[in-house]
Amino acid sequence: MADQETQLLDEIIATSRRKMFSLGVSSLAALVVGANALQAKAATPAYTDADILNFALNLEYLEANFYYLAAFGTTINIANAASTAAGAPLIALSGTVGTAGAVSGGSKVPFTTIPVASYAIETAVEEGKHVQLLLTALGSSAVAQPAINLGTSFQTLATAAKIPGGSGFSPYASDDTFLVGAYVFEDVGVTAYHGAASLLTVPANLVTASGILAVEAYHAGLIRTTINYIDPTGATIASYTNLISTLRASLSQAGLLGVAPSAYDTNPDDFGLATFSVSLGSEAGATATRITDADATNVIAFARNTTQVLNIVTGGGAVSGTAAVSPALGVFFPAGMNAGPNGFK
Amino acid sequence: MANLSSFINRSVSRRKFIAGVGAGAGAVAVLGVAGCNDSSSSSATTLTNDEDILNFALNLEYLEASFYLYAATGAGLKSSDMIPGSASSYQTVGTVTPGNAAAVPGLTSAQQQILTEIAFEEQAHVRFLRSALGSAAVPMPNIDLSFFGPLAVAAAITTAATGAGSFNPFSSFDYFLVGAFIFEDVGVTAYSGAAPLISSAGVAAGYLTAAAGILAVEAYHAGYIRTSLTGRAIAAGSAAAYPYLGAANLVADLRATLTVGDSAAPSTAGSVETLLTLPASLTAPSAIVAASPSNAVGFSRTVNQVLHVVYGSPTVGVGKGGFFPNGINSPLATTTA
Repeated sequence: MADQETQLLDEIIATSRRKMFSLGVSSLAALVVGANALQAKAATPAYTDADILNFALNLEYLEANFYYLAAFGTTINIANAASTAAGAPLIALSGTVGTAGAVSGGSKVPFTTIPVASYAIETAVEEGKHVQLLLTALGSSAVAQPAINLGTSFQTLATAAKIPGGSGFSPYASDDTFLVGAYVFEDVGVTAYHGAASLLTVPANLVTASGILAVEAYHAGLIRTTINYIDPTGATIASYTNLISTLRASLSQAGLLGVAPSAYDTNPDDFGLATFSVSLGSEAGATATRITDADATNVIAFARNTTQVLNIVTGGGAVSGTAAVSPALGVFFPAGMNAGPNGFK
Repeated sequence: MANLSSFINRSVSRRKFIAGVGAGAGAVAVLGVAGCNDSSSSSATTLTNDEDILNFALNLEYLEASFYLYAATGAGLKSSDMIPGSASSYQTVGTVTPGNAAAVPGLTSAQQQILTEIAFEEQAHVRFLRSALGSAAVPMPNIDLSFFGPLAVAAAITTAATGAGSFNPFSSFDYFLVGAFIFEDVGVTAYSGAAPLISSAGVAAGYLTAAAGILAVEAYHAGYIRTSLTGRAIAAGSAAAYPYLGAANLVADLRATLTVGDSAAPSTAGSVETLLTLPASLTAPSAIVAASPSNAVGFSRTVNQVLHVVYGSPTVGVGKGGFFPNGINSPLATTTA
């Protein structure tokens, strides 16, 4: 049975790769079907490519609305002068699968510095394009935008992360708090695309997912760099990144359901902007700052499976003991993600 | 050099210049046509094995690691990190021609710590790939870090950023950022482009997942470099006050010219380059991310396109030059398209 399954998978991979060559498409496509995928396939429900892209679409709904609200003061489906001026796509909420929900919370950040404001605008536009791309790719299979909480969810998470004044935390209060709010999402996007993409089998989908993975990592690098520029010594917001990463690592670990992490992943699987000691060439003991969220030995970015990601974005709603809970509810997704017939867990 | 740069800008297209003459920048590459080995004919049509692909990546990581290690410490890789595996067909360990390479002076401790981090991470990628390849690991090829000078001339950076002086990425943090810019987006796209060549056995062995993870790390680094250039330009107040942003964009222009098959103007459809911008108000977007302007999906480059960039030559059939004066240690070393 196992042999048969492996053989089948090999055939799918080989076919995908051939197609890719004949199309002349160069990408990291094949990348995505890695060793982790083999394990994930055996352990999780048989997700179709549409399932996986819909999982990504739920996350993009979340990210895009956060950035639209912060940068423009509006959601992705309602244009205003600011979003129009920035060229942000106006998203027709054409997804119909599942239950459509409302976006709550969020407001335009009173930015005072150009680097942070321009970053918010750029990212909003890019995340909007990702939503648009996935909606187009999925067509009638696209899930509806679920209920999304972008208000009190941040206070819940900030409190759980033990950020000082967490119960009153708002990412919309200032440039600094916006960066902390953005930090909550960006590395998660990287790990989600890295992990979820490894389940995809159709070349065009793999190409898309791998390209988005790169963009999420650019965003994550950008946010970490900006935080480092503002707080180079870790006195304020840079120290919050460690608190958030610790929380994410803990939620992610619970999402492993007691199973050891995949190759190249470790526990914990998340690091904030703390300094650490490294050896360079023949020199030992240099101090480095983590601009990259990756494992400390091989420096390969982390991948997370759907349960791990769900457990982070629902604040622990995806796991009970060592069992997956479906549907996973809480924090950013108060009614859960929208999914096809297989659900997500 | 200044005369040469203005000549390029005034009289001939940069593309023709590089293709036809090579001049300071491409001289080695052009000579390489005659001297290159014959492997191009087979690599053009034959799919290569996983070891070739990982070794291709390893050659690039040797270059990146050497650059960042010199910038961070004034010295390169440890000798044990550059020797050949016992089964490699390449048994000669290359050397680094340092040129101006030295620890970048005048860094703040935050800048030093991040430079240290990037150096450490590229070094880790070298070690990871060497470990994954085992006895098949190729040694470090000859690397020429003095190529930054000719490259800058070809990109017309010399006049834009420093008047009559010559470009030296090891002379200050800002110059370092421009030097790093040459590599970082290329690293991201190289992993995208090379990975589909990996076999299903390599997929099962986890190489592809690992490569996706390295891709992400390269994008984190690129995010740092592009954010720093943008942020420092904003702080300076104008493009004129911070010429390094424009210099980086000249690099992107040059890469577009060299990248055969995707040579559309940067930031337009069909290009694999996104020019940096200088947001002048609280309502203007930055351009940190290098991605398609239509759907915000990241770019990829083929092996050939990467070689054109690191050899500093758009010519087909070139097997060495630029940062790799004797070519990379690979049967894929020669450009075939």
